[in-house]
Amino acid sequence: MWLVPNSTEVELLFGVTCNFFITMASGCTSEDLFDAIIMADDRFHDEGFQEGFDKGTRQGLIEGRNHGATHGARLSAELSFYYGFAFTWKCIFQDSPEPRTRKKLKALENLLALIQSFPHDDPQYGNLQEDVGKVRAKFRQVCSLVNVPSDFRDYVSKGEEMSF
Amino acid sequence: MSWVKSIPSSEDDVFDEDEEDTNLQKKEWRYNMEKRLKDGFRDGMDSGKEASLQHGFNMGFRDGAAKMVIVGQLKGIVSAMQCWCQLQQLDPPRLASVTELLQIIVRHEDTMIERMQMAQQHLPASVGDITDCISDLSVQHVDSCCGGVHCSGKSCHRSEGAKEDNSTFPCPSTHCSLSMEENLKQLLKSCMNLVYELDFPEELLHHVKQLMSA
Repeated sequence: MWLVPNSTEVELLFGVTCNFFITMASGCTSEDLFDAIIMADDRFHDEGFQEGFDKGTRQGLIEGRNHGATHGARLSAELSFYYGFAFTWKCIFQDSPEPRTRKKLKALENLLALIQSFPHDDPQYGNLQEDVGKVRAKFRQVCSLVNVPSDFRDYVSKGEEMSF
Repeated sequence: MSWVKSIPSSEDDVFDEDEEDTNLQKKEWRYNMEKRLKDGFRDGMDSGKEASLQHGFNMGFRDGAAKMVIVGQLKGIVSAMQCWCQLQQLDPPRLASVTELLQIIVRHEDTMIERMQMAQQHLPASVGDITDCISDLSVQHVDSCCGGVHCSGKSCHRSEGAKEDNSTFPCPSTHCSLSMEENLKQLLKSCMNLVYELDFPEELLHHVKQLMSA
């Protein structure tokens, strides 16, 4: 069994196949035959290649798509979580008679704006990692500002173990 | 190699004297061309995959991201509500109802992601598995066998995978998506009720309503 023929084997193969062709179709020049043989070799490879390519393209699309779906879902779930969380606190503080809410409100609004400032659904967006990092940092700041219980922060941090 | 010895010494005597030699050469030729076809298929498979993986990943990423927006936000909203209830030291039954809703939402979100992962695992694991399916691919019936659809025969170990691949693919959203969607609507409704009951600001109620119609 040979996978990639070395030059000696190719010569031997053509030696045999040329001979075979000459016996089958006498009358053609040997140059034509040699071309025909080389082309037959390529033709079969190309035929297989085309079929393989179509199949591979479909396969790649499906595999890529499924793989991408979980990654996109995780990131979106995490960022949407921050958004819902920050939005709710913003609503609470806006209506609150409590003093000293300005700083908290500002931090919350910054977080909301930050989340909305970049595309979450484009894995090829160049600053995705960096911007997600900023959002996480801002979220932690918000948590300490609104005095969120520490066990809650533990629960949230589980969502940060995502990788690309 | 045995066929080296079978090179005829002159062209004339091939048919006349030794037909076996010709048959051997025919076999050899066929074997080599089948090999070329298979090699070509494998090369094409790799190239095709390489060319489409990123595109597929981007599409999936977008779809996956879109699916999680509402449940993610809902989790954030109810989490914030729970924190607020804890900080306000609300009476235990009220706090319990918020916590319970949060737990259901978390479970719902986990299920959605699990389903996507399951769809991923149902795919044929590698190109190797697929090329196994075409081991009986031969020069003669190249038109009828495309390495999957009709390949239910002896050498195919993964007929199930191949079938899935060629029919509508196991998109995470297609199975049971209806009941999951209805479920999410219910959770949004429960959230709205709690927002109302616990007297959260009007703006939040409005936001949850918007999520529901999205």
